[in-house]
Amino acid sequence: MSQKGSDKFKYGLLKAIDVSGFKVFDPVVRLIFAEEPRKQIQDIAKYMLLPIIFCLVCFFMWDIIGPRHKTKSGEVPSPGKVLEAAKDATRFKQREGEKEAAFVAEGKDREALLADSKKKLTEFEEKTAELQELSAAAAKSGQNKIDASLNPIKEKYDTLKAKYKTAQTERKEAISTLADQFANKQASKDELIAAMEEDSLQKESEKEELKVLSQQLDDIRANPPKEIKEAQLAANKAADEVQHYKKVIDILTTGNREVKKNALLEKAEKAEAALTVATTGAEAQKQAKAVVSNKDKAGKADEQKFPKAATIYWQTYRSLATVFVGFLIAVLVAVPVGIMCGLNRIVMACLTPIISIFRPVSPVVWLLIFQIIVGAFFPDPDKHWLFQTMNESKLLPGFIHNLQVNPAMIFSACTVAMCALWPALVNTALGVSSIDKDHLNVAKVLRLGFWSRLFKIIIPASLPLVFAGLRISLGVGWMVLIAAEALSSSDGLGKYVWDEYQNGSSQSFANIILACFVVGIIGFFLDRIMIMLQKLVSFDDGSATA
Amino acid sequence: MKTHKILRTIIGLGMLGATSVSAEQLDVEKDELKFGFIKLTDCAPIVIAKEKGFFEAEGLQVEVIAQPNWKQLLDNVITGELDGAHMLSGQPIAATIGFGTKSHIVTPYTLDLNGNGITVSNAIWEQMQENDPTLDTDTPKHPIPATSLKPIVDAAKEDGKKLPMGMVFPVSTHNYEIRYWLAAANIHPGMYTSTDLKGFTNGDIELSTTPPPQMPATLESGKNVAYCVGEPWNQQAVAKGIGVPVTTNYDIWKNNPEKVFGVTKAWADENPNTLIAVTKALIKAGKWLDATDASGKLINREEACRILSQPNYVGADYDVIKNSMTGFFYFQKTDKREMPDFNVFFKYHATYPHYSDGVWFLTQMRRWGQITEPKPASWYKEIAEKVYLPEVYKKAAAMLIEEGSITKDEIPAADYDGYKAPTKDFIDGIEYDGKKPIEYLNSHKIGNKDDPSLSAK
Amino acid sequence: MSFLEIKQANVGFGPVSNRTEVLSDINLKVEENEFVAVIGFSGAGKSTLMNLLAGLQRPDQGSVTVKGQLVKEPGPHLGLMFQNYSLLPWLSVFENIELAVKTVFPKLSKSERRENIMHYIDMVKLTPAAEKKPHELSGGMRQRASLARTLSLQPEVLLLDEPLSALDALTRSELQDQILNIWEKDKRTVVMITNDVDEAVLMADRIIPLTIGPQATLAEEFRVNMERPRDRHTLNDHPEFMRLKAEITSFMMGLNKESKANANSSSTSMPDIKPKDFSLPSARLDFRNRKAKPSGSRSVA
Repeated sequence: MSQKGSDKFKYGLLKAIDVSGFKVFDPVVRLIFAEEPRKQIQDIAKYMLLPIIFCLVCFFMWDIIGPRHKTKSGEVPSPGKVLEAAKDATRFKQREGEKEAAFVAEGKDREALLADSKKKLTEFEEKTAELQELSAAAAKSGQNKIDASLNPIKEKYDTLKAKYKTAQTERKEAISTLADQFANKQASKDELIAAMEEDSLQKESEKEELKVLSQQLDDIRANPPKEIKEAQLAANKAADEVQHYKKVIDILTTGNREVKKNALLEKAEKAEAALTVATTGAEAQKQAKAVVSNKDKAGKADEQKFPKAATIYWQTYRSLATVFVGFLIAVLVAVPVGIMCGLNRIVMACLTPIISIFRPVSPVVWLLIFQIIVGAFFPDPDKHWLFQTMNESKLLPGFIHNLQVNPAMIFSACTVAMCALWPALVNTALGVSSIDKDHLNVAKVLRLGFWSRLFKIIIPASLPLVFAGLRISLGVGWMVLIAAEALSSSDGLGKYVWDEYQNGSSQSFANIILACFVVGIIGFFLDRIMIMLQKLVSFDDGSATA
Repeated sequence: MKTHKILRTIIGLGMLGATSVSAEQLDVEKDELKFGFIKLTDCAPIVIAKEKGFFEAEGLQVEVIAQPNWKQLLDNVITGELDGAHMLSGQPIAATIGFGTKSHIVTPYTLDLNGNGITVSNAIWEQMQENDPTLDTDTPKHPIPATSLKPIVDAAKEDGKKLPMGMVFPVSTHNYEIRYWLAAANIHPGMYTSTDLKGFTNGDIELSTTPPPQMPATLESGKNVAYCVGEPWNQQAVAKGIGVPVTTNYDIWKNNPEKVFGVTKAWADENPNTLIAVTKALIKAGKWLDATDASGKLINREEACRILSQPNYVGADYDVIKNSMTGFFYFQKTDKREMPDFNVFFKYHATYPHYSDGVWFLTQMRRWGQITEPKPASWYKEIAEKVYLPEVYKKAAAMLIEEGSITKDEIPAADYDGYKAPTKDFIDGIEYDGKKPIEYLNSHKIGNKDDPSLSAK
Repeated sequence: MSFLEIKQANVGFGPVSNRTEVLSDINLKVEENEFVAVIGFSGAGKSTLMNLLAGLQRPDQGSVTVKGQLVKEPGPHLGLMFQNYSLLPWLSVFENIELAVKTVFPKLSKSERRENIMHYIDMVKLTPAAEKKPHELSGGMRQRASLARTLSLQPEVLLLDEPLSALDALTRSELQDQILNIWEKDKRTVVMITNDVDEAVLMADRIIPLTIGPQATLAEEFRVNMERPRDRHTLNDHPEFMRLKAEITSFMMGLNKESKANANSSSTSMPDIKPKDFSLPSARLDFRNRKAKPSGSRSVA
């Protein structure tokens, strides 16, 4: 009985990993259940260990080759640097969280936070001082090193330059005397030309020689010892923390929501007190106004949200939401239209030119078009009902407010929809038009009406191809989204990449590669989800999934 | 004048209210704001006003959002996605007169002076040195005019090529500055016409738009042989060893206005108190940025650099930003010079929205054909007054004086009419008087010239 | 008047200028509760004939009537059982039949319907597999499910389009017996198309050969005068069976030869070019011989 139960569990598990597209783990599961251990171990070695080793080799190569490839914007970051970037991104997120916490903290919490932040501040201040000292020392010793290698060449360069300069003036003088002689018919034409040629040749070679030396100087200057930069970066990081805790303390003491509110309420109270003893009408009016306006402001202050800076986590979340919305629009348009195309050749003929012309259009063009079109619908986005509901309505949960829906998000989603539309549409049309004739004959024999034919025969029969199309669509959508965001500055991973590119800091390159991994991994999981759905609707044993 | 009366009334009221009114927040119409900026160091006042709590002190919660380019930034302000933004001085003017996207944009605050440079590629620099041997030292004499560039341009033209150069945006200060620099040395930078919106017509060179972060890359690849851009992109060229900054805009026009804070007219009308509150915060931020100690050292710049180097702001390395913002400028790796006025955020009444600045940009737009029709002098005045809002600035400043945040001498005198005194602080020494735009136009050799009779109209 | 009747039906395709007649001058009369087998080579137009009967296709000329009524469109009273099962793969056996029953008898209550469905599933002995999806079933089981679905329509005419041709020999004979059983218990008019002479002789009352297309038509019928139930085990020794089988086979072979001759005479003349052969001598193949192999031999043998 228990044997049978475990078998059932095993096959359930195997089916689950098959459906979810992780067939790689099949031998692992089988091995756990001690099914043909030899074969499973072989399979694991072949299809799991080797790929893992291959990936490791790739990482290793990257680690070795990357830093050796020097670009003008710095070297290609190693995996370690990218990991470092990921850690920094996480720290950045934490900082924003701490600031927000400082903004909303109330009463005892606020005091505790304040004490804690002060402690941390002193801690980091000490650390910064220490690191800055180290950095200064490193800079000094580094400069000495640079000078040591620079000075001899520089000396050589200077002396050579001076030498050549005098040589050039001498030659110039010689030529001018020769020219005078020629004028006096004391020298021949050829002589003068030869001297001229000689001079320009000499000049060229001298220049060349100097250039080599100056190039060497530039190289040395361009590649200061690594320690300097590293020490500097370490010091900078600590100094960033100092800056951060200063800001947190600042928020806790003056920017804090409660503090602000209380200050305003106090003012209102004072004004009220002044109002009771007011003697003149004007004074009374003024104080009454102060009471009202301060109370009003206090109320507003209570509702204020902390404007958090965008972190890569939030950008990822927003990208996912955008691609989801865009994909949904694409599905809602593509599937019905695709079905109509598949059912009716006239509709297909009508739509073919439109599909053929618009399908190859670049997402960038769509983005610009949608930007103009969609923008026109939201003349005043702050007051538009859509954004007011999405961002403020109490009916919606916080995670939707968190998205901060704006027109840029809408037209990014529209761009995604526009580009993701085509594979789904074409595949749906194909799926519908290539339904097995026998299935349609069944419908005829049963004399099914249009709707039951549609829902009982046509849609179920074309679902595998429809989902194959949707899978391509989602992949296209995700790729397009990143480009659209980069271009439209709609918050998301695309904007993150673009911002990092514009930052051009020493860590930007690593951050871009980090984003590349995030985009890739998410794309991978989206694809897996679609494969899973596709397998669930496939009836012919999953052969439709390649 | 009417404005003066209002101002006097405000000050008068302030006196009456005495201490109880001071440090009182304005009744702002909107307290959660979104401001856009481009990742350049001169966005500093906006970032500082946020990070140092100057906005909060006015009861404002401000989100500061990086924008991908100037066009998008302007569009986002126009569509209302942003409440206001860091803008090129030419942008509000161009938008208001309808060159490019049309929309009435106004500015109550100038963010900074100077801060740009012109960088040429190494190859061009070598040829310039050949043409002018005095440049062939580690520390050549400044300002360097484009005269030694002229033979190179001519030689290329004889070969049927026009040297490609880059600037940031058609209505950016950079465009006018590099044109000014070239034209001052008799190199024709090209005219805009109603059909040529790229500004190539009749040019000796081809000056086209390139986004700032790509500038060094285009120089390296040879797509541009020179460019005019803000920081840190000139220093970047030096750091990478791919080019040589030959001049800064400080040398082209001493203390020229650079960026402004712009909002739409509609927004300003709808949120008058908010705009004053924002201006107050910005003035405080400007003052904080330019604060010096007794010895004249800028005391807050390092902290500012630290803040700006955060990835959500300018995001460049702290050291790179520090290089350009703490009063030094590297012209070559071996040529580091003190430029205390390379970034001016407050002193010299820098933040006041001078009408004469607006007129200067209008003259440049007319000079290079972006304004296709001749206009009378009165039109220049009218447009400048439409775009610049000194009243808002004055109100904000008066309140700050009241609060004791700034002193009276830090802003222009009460009877100041918005036109700076005529100046000859240009690389070619031509005098500019904001009240005489037509005469100024006609005093240049290259560029559009208008009928002198227009000056009286 | 016969129960089912085709009168001078012609079917063709293609434009008028270049028309190919698939069936021409088809005349067929089937009496009520009669079991008729139409036998023919692959590609002779058998399926077209079946489509005519089922109403899936209409003749260009002539008519098809059932009980005197013109057949204009398919319907449940013409129970067509498809050659390749055509079960809906996303539905289980039960659901496949349920779809049919629900559509044809919408007034049945839920329990009646269920009972009805299970009755037919039981009839074809598929009860244990009722909840399985078609791809989980063997070919024979699928065909039985298909049969159950067709029967559940309670058709007046049962049209079997080569129902067993895709099955292996053992399953085939098992199903033949089942169909015969069901038919004998619940008599109705059956037209079966087949390419198997044994099958036709075993099952039908009459066997009508279809000549080879184009312009295929029905040839002289063979009446099967053997008593029912027929027992396949003793059948091979039955003289009538032997005689019919031999006669039909030789008739069919004759048809085949005739058509070959026709085909040769009408074939277009090819240009007299010999393809150059670049292959090694040992790998050379004799194309002419291969081509001469009879194509229809498998079905009759």
